Amino acid sequence: MRYKSLLMAGAVAAVMAVSGAPLAQTLNVVSAGDQNMVDYVNNYLAPKFEAMNPGVKVRAVGTGPGDSGSQKIYEKLQAQQKAGSAAWDTDVAVVHQRGAATMVKENLLLAYRNDIASGKLVSRDSAKNALGANVDGFVLPMFHSQIAFAYNPDLVKVPPKSFAELTEWVKKNPKQFGYNGVKGGMSGVGFVMGWVGANAGLGDKLEKGPYDPAQKAAIDKSLASLKDFNQFVVMTPGNAGTLDMLNRGEIAMGPVWVDMFYTWQADGKLNPKVKLALPSPGLPGQPMYYVVPAKAANAALAKKFIDFAASPEVQAQGIVKQFNWYPGIDPQYVQAKLTPAEWNKLFVDISPSDLAKYGRPFPLSDYFTDIVEGYERVVLK
Amino acid sequence: MIGAFFVLPLLMSAVLAFRAKDGGFTFAHFEKAWELYRTDLLFTVGITVLSTVLIGLVAIAIAGYLTLGENPRAVAILRWLYRWPLFIPFIVTGQVMRAFLAKNGMLNHVLIGSGLIDPLAAQSLLDWRGIVIAFVWKQAPFVTLLLAGAMASLEPAQLEAARNLGATRLRLLGGIVLPQVRGTLMVGMVLSFVTMLSVLSVPLMINPNSPTMITVDIAYRINTHSDYAVANALCLMSLLIAAGAAWIYLRHASARHASA
Repeated sequence: MRYKSLLMAGAVAAVMAVSGAPLAQTLNVVSAGDQNMVDYVNNYLAPKFEAMNPGVKVRAVGTGPGDSGSQKIYEKLQAQQKAGSAAWDTDVAVVHQRGAATMVKENLLLAYRNDIASGKLVSRDSAKNALGANVDGFVLPMFHSQIAFAYNPDLVKVPPKSFAELTEWVKKNPKQFGYNGVKGGMSGVGFVMGWVGANAGLGDKLEKGPYDPAQKAAIDKSLASLKDFNQFVVMTPGNAGTLDMLNRGEIAMGPVWVDMFYTWQADGKLNPKVKLALPSPGLPGQPMYYVVPAKAANAALAKKFIDFAASPEVQAQGIVKQFNWYPGIDPQYVQAKLTPAEWNKLFVDISPSDLAKYGRPFPLSDYFTDIVEGYERVVLK
Repeated sequence: MIGAFFVLPLLMSAVLAFRAKDGGFTFAHFEKAWELYRTDLLFTVGITVLSTVLIGLVAIAIAGYLTLGENPRAVAILRWLYRWPLFIPFIVTGQVMRAFLAKNGMLNHVLIGSGLIDPLAAQSLLDWRGIVIAFVWKQAPFVTLLLAGAMASLEPAQLEAARNLGATRLRLLGGIVLPQVRGTLMVGMVLSFVTMLSVLSVPLMINPNSPTMITVDIAYRINTHSDYAVANALCLMSLLIAAGAAWIYLRHASARHASA
């Protein structure tokens, strides 16, 4: 009798296991960056992923824009690592390059890229190298963003093609150029990086290395000229602040994020006449990375989610079409999924060749710190 | 409770400010804070002192009118109106001022519309002046409230007597009312000074320029560089400034006690 009931229990258990009774699973996604990043997961990715995987709930929270948002994620993972927790409560994180580099160095992340199909669709350097740190296998770019000058063609007949031309232009048109310094947001930081790149005479050593602390002098010298430049410009309160002031006509030109620019225009928050331009030698852009914490509670589900999010269809419809970012995976896979009109929308003002020539990565972490601290020391005094 | 929520964090902050990377004692963080943010510290002191003085003047004017005003309707309206900013948080004040003081903000619209200035002469007040305006607008009602209360508790007989003898209201204010409510005014001003020293939202939203208030630098050090050491050093310097204000007040209060 007992043997029979045991057999029955075993049979029921086997049937349940085979049928895969859906357990309620929550996938916790934590994203640095502006609110649009969180909205992207909650309003676009989550419903699709949940439909594909019944019983799964995707929950996204944001930690704020800029490197400080990634900083918060790093601190959380580090705390859980130090406390020796067996399972960490973040399954997928979206972080900036600096944050990712630090996390890889401290063994906070899982190497997952080679385990998923979409991982093979990336060959750009930015998928392996984050500001000089080797992050190969640990990250997958979600998108590539780019900073460019937005300008009002009614007020700026011929946009400056280089930083030298910009300097001449602001002298003739004082207080018509605005940027947000280094404390207001990354578009301003990117502008300063571009300035140093153009004026410090270090060429692409800033991005490729090796790091040489003796170059601080050259960096400081280029920042001294930026201090002079600042007399002719307006400081704006942030990334959105620059777009805002452009829209109201308080400035005629300023550095902006290309995706924010297009999104604002689509929402009707920005004058449709405003255009973009990339000066030589270039302005930086950055990817944001999908990462999986080393001890994520739902690591398998996390990999599935990222595989889905990085697939060509989602990259085409979500990243490019809806949110106006340049794709994270290689462009040819994404271009195939969009109509020519949709694809070209991204390249109306900045052609792919311009982007390839003048879209640069941010400098190496150590140079980045030198430049930002140098700005405070030299320009803000 | 003061021990747990104030003294303990203060001690921890001090320890972090003086601790070097290797665990030893160092002034390096203070040196760095001074080197990078010296101008901002002076700016912070300047702005808060200026705002405090203006708050005092505005509070005296409003409270004085409420006490000595002779038009009951005007007094009633003023009494109702002046308290509104009390209930508005600093961050909302920041946002309100951003819309009000911008180059094409409400202030300029009114000035241009009423013909007082040319459209081309419109200025954006979103710099140090915006911070002062926001602070005065927000804190003056608080000091006015304290002051009006103190003035109302004065003996009306002395005011009437002075009026009968021919004193103007201004003379009344300066010679009889203010000397007696000086203590309350000092309390209000010192409290306002210390409060304004700690505000992050207003300078962050209104003043993108440099120099800016020290709170912005503290937030920047923590958020962008994760540099708690320099941030704590800046906080301790800020505490020193606030302590300075408190010391001035206490010296003044004890001097009065001694002479009373």
